[in-house]
Amino acid sequence: MTHDVGRVPALRADRLGKRYGHSWGLRDCTFAVPPGSIVGLVGPNGAGKTTLLALTVGLLAPSEGEVALFGERSRAQDAATLARVSYLAQDHPLYRGFTVADMFRFGRSLNPSWDAGLARARVAALDIPLGRKVKSLSGGQQAQVALTMALAKRAPLLLLDEPVASLDPLARLDFMRDVVAASAESGLTVLIASHVIAELERLCDWLLVLNGGRLQLAGAVEDLLAGHAVLTVPRDATNGALPGRVIERTDSDRHSTVLVSASAGTVTAAVAARPGWTAEPAGFEPVVLAYLRRPQFAAAPPAAWGTAVA
Amino acid sequence: MIWVTWRQHRPQALTALGVFAFVVAYALAFGLWMRSTFDSDAIGSCLARSGGAGCGGAISSFLHAAQGGAGAPLTLVLLVVPGVLGATVGAPLLGQELERGTWQLAWTQTVPRTRWLVVKLGLIIAGLVVFGAAVTAVTAWAWSPLDRVSVKTQPPQFIAEGLVLTCSLLCAFGLALLAGLLLRNTIGAMVAGYFAWDVCLGIVILLTGPLQPFSATKVITCAGAACAAASTNSVPPVTGNLGDQVNSVTPAAGHLVVSYVPASAFWPLQFVAGGIFVAIALSAAGAAVWLLQRRTT
Repeated sequence: MTHDVGRVPALRADRLGKRYGHSWGLRDCTFAVPPGSIVGLVGPNGAGKTTLLALTVGLLAPSEGEVALFGERSRAQDAATLARVSYLAQDHPLYRGFTVADMFRFGRSLNPSWDAGLARARVAALDIPLGRKVKSLSGGQQAQVALTMALAKRAPLLLLDEPVASLDPLARLDFMRDVVAASAESGLTVLIASHVIAELERLCDWLLVLNGGRLQLAGAVEDLLAGHAVLTVPRDATNGALPGRVIERTDSDRHSTVLVSASAGTVTAAVAARPGWTAEPAGFEPVVLAYLRRPQFAAAPPAAWGTAVA
Repeated sequence: MIWVTWRQHRPQALTALGVFAFVVAYALAFGLWMRSTFDSDAIGSCLARSGGAGCGGAISSFLHAAQGGAGAPLTLVLLVVPGVLGATVGAPLLGQELERGTWQLAWTQTVPRTRWLVVKLGLIIAGLVVFGAAVTAVTAWAWSPLDRVSVKTQPPQFIAEGLVLTCSLLCAFGLALLAGLLLRNTIGAMVAGYFAWDVCLGIVILLTGPLQPFSATKVITCAGAACAAASTNSVPPVTGNLGDQVNSVTPAAGHLVVSYVPASAFWPLQFVAGGIFVAIALSAAGAAVWLLQRRTT
């Protein structure tokens, strides 16, 4: 990868919006993901995750704004856009009557950049026979064949929509491990839409949270965690006295546990000044869940961990 | 794309081959039988001798045999097969992709979906034209003895021996294709496509009857007994040409006013009927391409 490519965002959205009739499926979505990231895309059902993916791959055209892949504007029905991105849809659709070899030939016929060696090596390593019909494979095997198709396309951006939703726990682990390995090997940028937040925590170094069609969080996971802290304070401490912005507060008899969005410096200073206050690093899942519960906190992500790529 | 199209439509292609094999076998048997009957009735030699006059009895018995029992199954096949086959090929092209979610796979490879559809349409239409032309050639051969003594501007020959079969196949294909995009369901699209095609076929068949655009009127002088005996069923027809379809004969003093469809109307009528089918097919396929291109949900 050249130095220039390293600086251009792999995926950039600029005031991206998609309207369905009178309602907006996605609105005012602006972010930039550095190349090589593994991005988790989180949000409740109907938050706009699939819309964002479809806009990125060009299955949909935006109603406003734009999305760009590696500096090039993504356009619907454009071969150059399609060549930059692999898309693995929910339920990993494949032609049921095709053999695995047929699926690969399908991939080769429709993709100039098709890597036949990679495709064959992957299914051989997974013990999936090329001559088997897709419909006779297990769900996990079908997901692996679909992932193999997406990887063999050799596009620099891989989009996965709920890739493991239908898989058993072991197949999930295998699948995700393979995604991470592929990303590490070839510098692939991966975007994974998933409901399984714990799984994303292990995989992702970047996070997008969508809620109600709006972007709630966008940034590096490291910065997200550094920009939040869990404070334990006496119950009578008011929110105004706390550092940063209160995201979630749980009161017990004598103490309150408060998730705040604040830089590490302000938190340390606040705790040092008040005996009886303690601070702990925030966990990935609690932070994400706290935001998901509060769609109103959509507007301004903390400045401390803004976009990593300008 | 050629391989992809072939692989996805292989079952239909094999079905079409099966249908073709059946048509060939039946038409061969039927055609040979018709030829031997034609010869044994000595129609050929009678026609050569008199140009039709006096051959009425032989021709009538031949027509009765050929258009009745033995020819009926082939006629039925020709009336149903284009619709069934066209709908079977057209419905899954978009209907099954949308029904099973595989459109998300097909349209996110490096070929944009409009190009994907247009290439597929081109290949499949070429295949259907080859199939239609081959069936037409075989059935036209089988029926050719009948053509010498009967009216071709009526079904089944009107369908079997020109452009109509191929064009009606394309019509059913186009309608089922569009239905697949609108209904997102293969079976539903097949049924809808077939019945929509049936309506088109009905219109075209009306062209060979009440809506016939090439009717002509002729005044034939005659005398005495010849005038009295003339009817629409005369063999050979009162117009003197075995291929003419006589619709009405009005006797008057010393002449007959004959309303008829001349045998020469066969090709003009083929172009009109074929044109209607092709226009419907192209409109439906064009609508499908347009809808797919602007489809955003």
